[in-house]
Amino acid sequence: MAGRYDAIIVGGGHNGLVCAAYLAKAGRKVLVLERRHVLGGAAVTEELYPGFKFSVASYVVSLFRPHIIRELDLARHGLSMIPLECSFTPHLDGPGLVRWPELAKTRREISRLSQKDAEIYPEFSLAMTRMAYFIKNIIDRPAPDPTSLAPSEMARTLEFAKSFARLDPDLFHLHSQLLTMSAVDFLSLWFESEVLMAPMSCSGIIGTFLGVRSPGTAYVLLHHYMGEIDGAFRSWGFHKGGTGGLSLACARAAQSFGVEIRTESSVAQVLVKDGAARGVVLENGDELLSRAVFSNLDPNRTFLKLVNSSDLDPEFLHQIRRYKLRGSSGKVNLALDRFPEFTCRPGVGPHVQGDLAICPNLDYLERAYDDAKYGDFSRRPYLNIVFPSLVDPTVAPPGKHVMSIFVQYAPYHIKEGAAAWPSRRDAFGDAVIDTVAEYAPTLKESILYKQVLTPWDLEQTFGLTEGNIFQGELSLEQLMFLRPAAGYARYRTPIKDLWLCGSGAHPGGGIMGSPGELAAKTALSAGAV
Amino acid sequence: MSADVLVIGAGHNGLVCAGLLAKAGRKVVVLERRDILGGLCAGEEFHPGYRHTGLLLDTTGLRPWVVEALDLSRHGLTFETKWPRYFSPTDSTDLCISCAPNGGSELEAPVAQRWSAFLDFVNRVRPAVEPLLNEPPIDFASAGAREFLDLVRHGWTARRLGKRDMMELLRIPPMSVADWLREWLPSEHLCAIWSLPAVSGTWMGPRSPGSAANLLRILCTMQMPVAGGGDALVQALAASARARGVEFRTGCRVRRLRAHAGRVTGVELEGGEEIAATAVVATCDPRQTFLDLVPKRQLSDTFEARMVRFRQRGTTAPVNLALKGDVHWASEHGARAHFVRVAPHPDDIERAFDAVKYRQMSERPVLEIHIPTRGQPELAPSGGHVMCILAHFAPYHLEGGWNDDARARLGESVVAQVARFTTGLREQIAGMEVLTPADIEAQYGVSGGHIHHGEHALDQLLTRPSPEAARYATPLAGLYLGGSGAHPGGGITGAPGALAARAVLHSSGG
Repeated sequence: MAGRYDAIIVGGGHNGLVCAAYLAKAGRKVLVLERRHVLGGAAVTEELYPGFKFSVASYVVSLFRPHIIRELDLARHGLSMIPLECSFTPHLDGPGLVRWPELAKTRREISRLSQKDAEIYPEFSLAMTRMAYFIKNIIDRPAPDPTSLAPSEMARTLEFAKSFARLDPDLFHLHSQLLTMSAVDFLSLWFESEVLMAPMSCSGIIGTFLGVRSPGTAYVLLHHYMGEIDGAFRSWGFHKGGTGGLSLACARAAQSFGVEIRTESSVAQVLVKDGAARGVVLENGDELLSRAVFSNLDPNRTFLKLVNSSDLDPEFLHQIRRYKLRGSSGKVNLALDRFPEFTCRPGVGPHVQGDLAICPNLDYLERAYDDAKYGDFSRRPYLNIVFPSLVDPTVAPPGKHVMSIFVQYAPYHIKEGAAAWPSRRDAFGDAVIDTVAEYAPTLKESILYKQVLTPWDLEQTFGLTEGNIFQGELSLEQLMFLRPAAGYARYRTPIKDLWLCGSGAHPGGGIMGSPGELAAKTALSAGAV
Repeated sequence: MSADVLVIGAGHNGLVCAGLLAKAGRKVVVLERRDILGGLCAGEEFHPGYRHTGLLLDTTGLRPWVVEALDLSRHGLTFETKWPRYFSPTDSTDLCISCAPNGGSELEAPVAQRWSAFLDFVNRVRPAVEPLLNEPPIDFASAGAREFLDLVRHGWTARRLGKRDMMELLRIPPMSVADWLREWLPSEHLCAIWSLPAVSGTWMGPRSPGSAANLLRILCTMQMPVAGGGDALVQALAASARARGVEFRTGCRVRRLRAHAGRVTGVELEGGEEIAATAVVATCDPRQTFLDLVPKRQLSDTFEARMVRFRQRGTTAPVNLALKGDVHWASEHGARAHFVRVAPHPDDIERAFDAVKYRQMSERPVLEIHIPTRGQPELAPSGGHVMCILAHFAPYHLEGGWNDDARARLGESVVAQVARFTTGLREQIAGMEVLTPADIEAQYGVSGGHIHHGEHALDQLLTRPSPEAARYATPLAGLYLGGSGAHPGGGITGAPGALAARAVLHSSGG
């Protein structure tokens, strides 16, 4: 026992590690406790099959904030990104569609679908880039509280409002559309081809329980454009050796500042005395004391499992209970003996080195969503596939491949009940593999190993309540000053010295590092740690 | 012929607008393409001896200040004295509920308690919501001193709610109505009954984010319904307008607007006749106004492109049944009900909505029903009844297009849904009128057959129909938009027409 800590971080996900690093960098004595044997939470690499390294859950990095990389000197600690440059949508008939890093090449591809769309594509990219600059302001700072009358808060809200007002009227209108429209309606402001809009709209639904035509999905489209503007790396990328490498870089940075990290240390409870967090109790009964506790877990787990409900105000509990976490996605990881040929565009060319999306048209995506609405996994799901082994030979033996398949929709609440997922797991995995096999018929015979993760598995393995990969739906009513609850969007919780530092806090999920960073900075500047 | 102001369209908004302009001393002529006044609110004989009271069934949103300004009670307008009760059958149990303070009294105790807590919340936030629908929209973009004051004023009203209610209020608009209601009401059936009006006429299901805003708006403007429905309102509005000297020309189609040097100078009618005016208020829908009526090259490409993309795909089919005798609902509640909602579960509404995504009509449509003969037996021959139904969902763009066969299928699926919960319905049917979105477009001139003149989604409600035309004046000087395609949107409120009239008067110096 190393005595009392300034801060204990519950959960060694990437946000927890970032938070720890910032606190330690400021001279605080910090302990990170991770339940599993590996660090990284959902951003982990595991060798599930000899010689094959899997980014088990989170598989691409797009939003990690460049200033965090600089401030924590992550490159020196092993951060190494490989850009993911193109996006391939195979079709059952025709050559499919590839969006390349080179604009001219992309326009040639799109012109096969619509000349008009090909012409307007650059204009769309420009508009999105301009908006991404604006949204960056939102995610790089704590959310304002528009209901507060405190002068500092009013100034913050005013500053926020002014940044809107500074936009020219057309761009202002576009932002209000971006925040409220469906991905498809928003894309329809430019495009006409549903076959083009299908893969473009998909980034709006990832991790949500919404369809591409549901209002509110346009906003997440921007995430695709965020990386681009930061210049640190292109919009999407792999971490060399797997996503877990990013977490390990954060961990090494944290350790370099003196953070102590313990794995296989499951926290049973946050110690609350006189309304303030004073440390944690581990599953094994050990008590660890600290001045402050930061929870990297989702709000549901934090407040409904780690804390006694008697320590919380019923009104707050009500808000946490209704906080929506309905997980909607699963994951299938495959070790392959050889690369599966995609019939519509065979070969191991550059087109398969980016991400692949199975989403031939908008109706396909809507039908996938409809299945989920009524409590089934999609019979023909939307799939986002990457083969990290094509660009990173360190993750698989020579000639062999790692295939990561993100699957939507797989609702946590299936009609048989979430606990019935284990009995539906095989059928779910089959639906996914059958779907891919329609486009790549040789897939099935090349599978060496298969891991199927249902949302129930994501909950069991990673502690994500209801399998929600963003620790709470990214819907407008759960963002900004409402994430995770009104009045508690600033990482603070109703329990003094208990802070939130995970994706369930502003600005939300995705491998950004922002909640961890902002939680640490907020607590430090408040003198709370 | 000439006028100070021409109002295109004699729907309820056109009549309100005309009346208010005439009241301010303007010489107003109203041009209506149909032979009767009232637009979607007009009551008509749809089968020999049977009349309906208008296609829009809900009159509870009519703004009291409009009624007052036009002195409508002096022109025959009266209101019901009881809150409407909504009867809703399912295969097992029935519900009967209203928004009256004791409106949930027939519910089981825990549900009744939650229902009244929900209404309490609505009544608490109403003072912050209602003004937004009574005034022109806040102009965020121009950010002048007046707009800033507006914002502060609204902010202050909202702030008076207290932090908790205010946060709660900010949370609701982007939500789906099903999510919102489920937070309050422990009954799926009750959630369905109140999800239905939120998605009525829209391209949304109860799971669509933003649908909660529609219910909030309906509940926060709820008044006693007009006795006699839309038809009675039209009669009172017309009488009030006539008394102030408004001239009506029915059967009069506008071919296009006349403009000179970027300013409206009048209209040209189908027959070639021209009418000069210094201002024109179009109460027809935005797409028709800007894409069909405004002469070419008067509008910027950007603005025109915005109107092309303004979403106005109708999803609702009015169906009117002429019944020889009474309808027998499986439960006794039904015998007294003026209003019926057929939507047992939110998923039933969602499934009905799913169809339009694939350009199909719902196999099991969900229904809003009004039986006007319960209060006005004279609308049907002795002993007979009229059942006015809004059936959801039927897409404007039906796969294969609308034709007699498709219309008959739609009618049959609606009858089958009613028959599920009644006995002996089919034998009572003397006649039936089925209006598809395509029919609404052809007969009433509403583009896309959209009963709200444009989708009620957040983006199209915040800025309706576009930034250039969001405050009634349009990019073409002298042309104003005064129908449901302007703020605060569709439904029988009278607000767009009244606020457009105000904008006309403002710009011409009172």
